Amino acid sequence: MRGDGRDSKQGDSKGARGSGKARDAHGTGKSGSKKRGSQRSGSEKSGARNHEKNAKAPVFAGYEPLPGGCYDELFAGAGKARPAIAPVVRQLDQLGEHEVRFRQRLADGAFLQSGITFRVYGDPRGTEKIFPFDVIPRIVGAKEWDKVEKGLEQRVRALNLFLADVYGEERVFKAKNAPVSEEIVKGSTGYLAKMRGIRPPGPKHVDPTYVHVAGIDLVRAPNGDFLVLEDNLRTPSGVSYVLENRLVMKRVFPGLFAKVKVRSVDAYPQKLRDGLMSLAGEDSTLAVLTPGHYNSAYFEHSFLARRMGSMLVQGSDLFVHDDRLYVKTTKGPRRIEVLYRRIDDEFLDPTVFRPDSLLGVPGIVQAYAKGNVVLANGLGNGCADDKGVYPFVPDLIRFYLGEEPILGQVETYHCSRPDHLSHVLANLEHLVVKAVDASGGYGMLFGPRSTKKERKDFAEQLKAAPRGYIAQPVVELSTCPTLTKKGVAPRRVDLRPYVVTGTSTWVLPGGLSRVALKEGSYVVNSSQGGGSKDTWVLASDDAASDAREAAE
Amino acid sequence: MISRVAGCCFWMHRYVERAENLCRLLKVNRSFLLDVPEGVADRWFPLIIVSGEQERFAELHPPAAGDDGELVEAYLTWEERSPVSVITSMRWARENARTTREVISLEMWETLNDLWVDLSRGKARRRYDTDRDTFYKRLRDGCDLFLGLSEQTLLDEEPLDFMRLGMWLERASQTARMLDVKHHTLGPSRADRESPVELAQWSALLYSCSASEAYYKRVPSKPDGRSIAAFLLQDPALPRSVLGCLLRARATLERIRTEGRPELGDEPAALLDGLIDRLRTRDIDTIFGQSIHDELTNAIDTTAAICASIDRAYFDPGDQSALLAAS
Repeated sequence: MRGDGRDSKQGDSKGARGSGKARDAHGTGKSGSKKRGSQRSGSEKSGARNHEKNAKAPVFAGYEPLPGGCYDELFAGAGKARPAIAPVVRQLDQLGEHEVRFRQRLADGAFLQSGITFRVYGDPRGTEKIFPFDVIPRIVGAKEWDKVEKGLEQRVRALNLFLADVYGEERVFKAKNAPVSEEIVKGSTGYLAKMRGIRPPGPKHVDPTYVHVAGIDLVRAPNGDFLVLEDNLRTPSGVSYVLENRLVMKRVFPGLFAKVKVRSVDAYPQKLRDGLMSLAGEDSTLAVLTPGHYNSAYFEHSFLARRMGSMLVQGSDLFVHDDRLYVKTTKGPRRIEVLYRRIDDEFLDPTVFRPDSLLGVPGIVQAYAKGNVVLANGLGNGCADDKGVYPFVPDLIRFYLGEEPILGQVETYHCSRPDHLSHVLANLEHLVVKAVDASGGYGMLFGPRSTKKERKDFAEQLKAAPRGYIAQPVVELSTCPTLTKKGVAPRRVDLRPYVVTGTSTWVLPGGLSRVALKEGSYVVNSSQGGGSKDTWVLASDDAASDAREAAE
Repeated sequence: MISRVAGCCFWMHRYVERAENLCRLLKVNRSFLLDVPEGVADRWFPLIIVSGEQERFAELHPPAAGDDGELVEAYLTWEERSPVSVITSMRWARENARTTREVISLEMWETLNDLWVDLSRGKARRRYDTDRDTFYKRLRDGCDLFLGLSEQTLLDEEPLDFMRLGMWLERASQTARMLDVKHHTLGPSRADRESPVELAQWSALLYSCSASEAYYKRVPSKPDGRSIAAFLLQDPALPRSVLGCLLRARATLERIRTEGRPELGDEPAALLDGLIDRLRTRDIDTIFGQSIHDELTNAIDTTAAICASIDRAYFDPGDQSALLAAS
């Protein structure tokens, strides 16, 4: 019964096409409703019953963005949806909170059923968890996205040229007013001196590709500008969630997708395959290299292999003979020319890097150096996404492309510069200070929440080794309406778009929106109470006005 | 296909087949024991013996525990420390499926994942406690659906052949183990003096192998242990007979060999041929009685040796550089 009236009303207004879809949506709802009682705990059930009282209440009726000037993705103020996306927000709003909650349960069931899970490390029984998902999408206008897309393409182009230069001619260090010092680049942990002079395999008439897949983390500043927070140029993960999230969203909101034109994300595996294959001969064989099924991202490795129609291999499946890479098969060895590897540089080849690595393939670096196998991503990319190099990326864009950076980034002080160091020391309580070679929150000072003593101790460390640190003002992550037990409330989000580069570059429309599900939290990591949302990039601003008409 | 992945396919089907057989055996043993006079009841321990779990069971339970049907059943169904329990088999079946997602179909994955979610999240446990026959039936149905789906949804090519190979070999060994239950429950049979209890158990074994109706078609006279044993051991047409399974395994192996490098499969093929010949030529009248147990033990051990040989040949081939130089 539930949802019946609304769906058919919407259907009527849209004519025959719409009503078909509406029935569709209703069907989904019905079959899932059986599951409801048995899968959920008692307390949640009673919660749902309370909401039944105001079943017709619009989704965003009581929604208020956070006070204090941080940007909200959907609302400019209470009840004021952002103009570019307002018609789509209204469509969602009309479904009613009760209905959206119901569809949230359908989505949770769908993830469990399809076994889309990640492994929790350190659990001997190998517990798998579902990546928490929130059905309220993050919506980005078409024009707004155009700028992001261009900015990402520009950034990746420059970083590719930078890597080719660092491992090639080293123009960047020799230039007058060098944009970054040799010491900072070569001192980074990701720099691999052994890669000097090796050109990554690929066609000779185009610049070599190092960054086949980039995940560039973006945050939204209070003024609405997207800023780059971090570049991930080694083995960025998460794209499978983008695709699976969309599949589930289409399943639970079929009616909505019929009315709102959202840019498709489904082409990613094909684009990745095309991009990688463009760097090798026509009849080449592609494989995805995974550390194995105990790796937390194994689902993604398997997903990409399936969707690209390629083999999924582990290090022990491969061997190098005569500087060529082969996989062991039941019919004897088979040559592999393109390897999308999802293991880190240092584990890739025990004869070159860590000798204790069991994940890698002895001799594979030599095969790469001889041009016999394309490795994606390239080796040594870590010196370009290093925290210590990050502050200089805008200058690198100017240096290599002669263009102004399209995307801004978070203001960063590099403590190696005496003027920056003194500024940092004087403003410690307002800044976040990070060690360049640490991640995951280690070696970090979060100024606003630190004690006087902590700041004093940290200042000593800084003065002792200033080159090891950068500092940034606290980044106010934007918020997005999110379903919580108490209703729809603002939660912090970031965005990781994916950029694929073979002989040309393609940007996945949208990307992974991660959301900090805990109230007041800035931490979006899945291991620490983070979840994800579908990211809708509207096909065009006309599509938005189409939806407006349909809604009226 | 990738050697390691072929191994996963092989083992995935072995585990599902193993779980399915154990469900059959447990369900049938229950109803058999309900039918026979007291004193014979509580004969659950033979199930532990034929599963090869005597030692581990003794480590985990007090000496007399083997008479406790509830305990034996719970052990073979739920004990995670046992490598052959239903729950362990299903865990590993799913784990193998998870590592071969790029090879199996979505339908196969969802079926196995559903079964696992059901088993591991308490729902099935409640069914086990309240309605055990349905519990085993559901599990069996799920396993059968999975095995059937692999035939329905996969290309008729190498990966499916390795799955079939694993399934047939596991089934051959499981039927042999089931037949051996009789030996461990009631001692050696004597064709000339068969008690009603013995006959009831032979019938129960037929039932375990879904072979009752087929048997009555095959043997029109009054049922007896000797002909039932011969049927389950040697009838090539019966899809669960030991010989029938081995013949199908042999044909599958031959397909794998002709489409690849035949010499890789020489050793397992020779072992299989040996066992098939032996079973074909045994006269049931001479082995019925004490030596049927030896015959079954030999079949089980040889099947294990065949699996090990297949593993060396196809799944864990070591360095293949030599093959490269050869070609």
